[in-house]
Amino acid sequence: MKVSIFNIFILFFKVGALLLGGGYVIVPLLVSEVVEKRQWISKDELLNYCAISQCLPGIIAVNTAVFTGYKLRGKYGALAAAVGMCATPFIAIVCLASILGQLTHMPMVKNIFWGVGIGIIIMIFLTVKELWAKSVVDKFTLLLFILIFAATAFFNFSPVLSIIFAAVLGILYKLMQKRMGK
Amino acid sequence: MINYLLLMYEFIKVGLFSVGGGYATLPFLYHIAEVYNWYSAKELVDMLAVSSITPGPVGINVATFAGFKTGGLLGALIATASVMLPSYLLVIVIYKLLNRFNENFYVQAVLYAIKPAGCALIAAVAVRLFRDYILRNVDVFNIYDITAFVDIKALLLLVGLFIMSIKIKKDPLVYLGVAALFGIILHLNFS
Repeated sequence: MKVSIFNIFILFFKVGALLLGGGYVIVPLLVSEVVEKRQWISKDELLNYCAISQCLPGIIAVNTAVFTGYKLRGKYGALAAAVGMCATPFIAIVCLASILGQLTHMPMVKNIFWGVGIGIIIMIFLTVKELWAKSVVDKFTLLLFILIFAATAFFNFSPVLSIIFAAVLGILYKLMQKRMGK
Repeated sequence: MINYLLLMYEFIKVGLFSVGGGYATLPFLYHIAEVYNWYSAKELVDMLAVSSITPGPVGINVATFAGFKTGGLLGALIATASVMLPSYLLVIVIYKLLNRFNENFYVQAVLYAIKPAGCALIAAVAVRLFRDYILRNVDVFNIYDITAFVDIKALLLLVGLFIMSIKIKKDPLVYLGVAALFGIILHLNFS
């Protein structure tokens, strides 16, 4: 059974519109829509895509959408999935963007944003906690974390260079470990 | 024209280097705020608040927003497409190598190192937000006048939410809703 490009677009359009509270909700959403309702791909396949998407750079929800779309209909399927998913968020933001300047001058909105801003600190803390558990697994990764945290939090070091630096160090460290016969 | 190209270049970098999803784009977006005058750090936090209550991944929302501020509708399109482009290309390449990808030595070594790096970058953003929201003027630190240094209301809300996040595990939207509510309550003026 070949799924049409249009149907892929429609499905991800729906997913994008329902994606509230960050990208993580995409996993249960896709399981129910793609696996259970439509049976386009198996649950194992989908969960595998989600797992790889989390490791890859980029926005996780976009990675997952592109994976699923590509599996269904190649590069056009992937494009339909990506565009479909961003459609509602894009329109919502463009509509809000033009009035945000006026909105943030209203005392009520200002206070709400102030509260939400503090809520976001907690959200980020929870994200860090979760990522930490998965990524800081030994002395080397701990050292890397401390180094990059200090450099970016207190010395304004470039985030792009931080990632490149980490990648290079990672390869060197693993090569060294291999040499030493571990 | 130059602006659009710069926008494209910067947001492709965001899409290519942010590791850890969701808030992982923030360190890069802060960096952009400092280097260009497309939007200020304050506006970024407002954008963040907006994108928490609108559908879609935060990274996409902020890209659309920043693009719109910089270059209108076309800017929004360019920034959104640019932030997604690396994902699109990368996933298609990885898909073809799917089985080998999991075993490749270099891929594994890079992932092993960039994951804690991405985590550290996000943690640094939390420090920055803490400084912006909770601390006031650090130079006037005075043990007898702590309110000149710390925003007590903000600190109270933060600690309250922190305890809530540990005691009761809820949907992220619940925390943000509670935070918004207290944003209003704590600023009520009874005088």
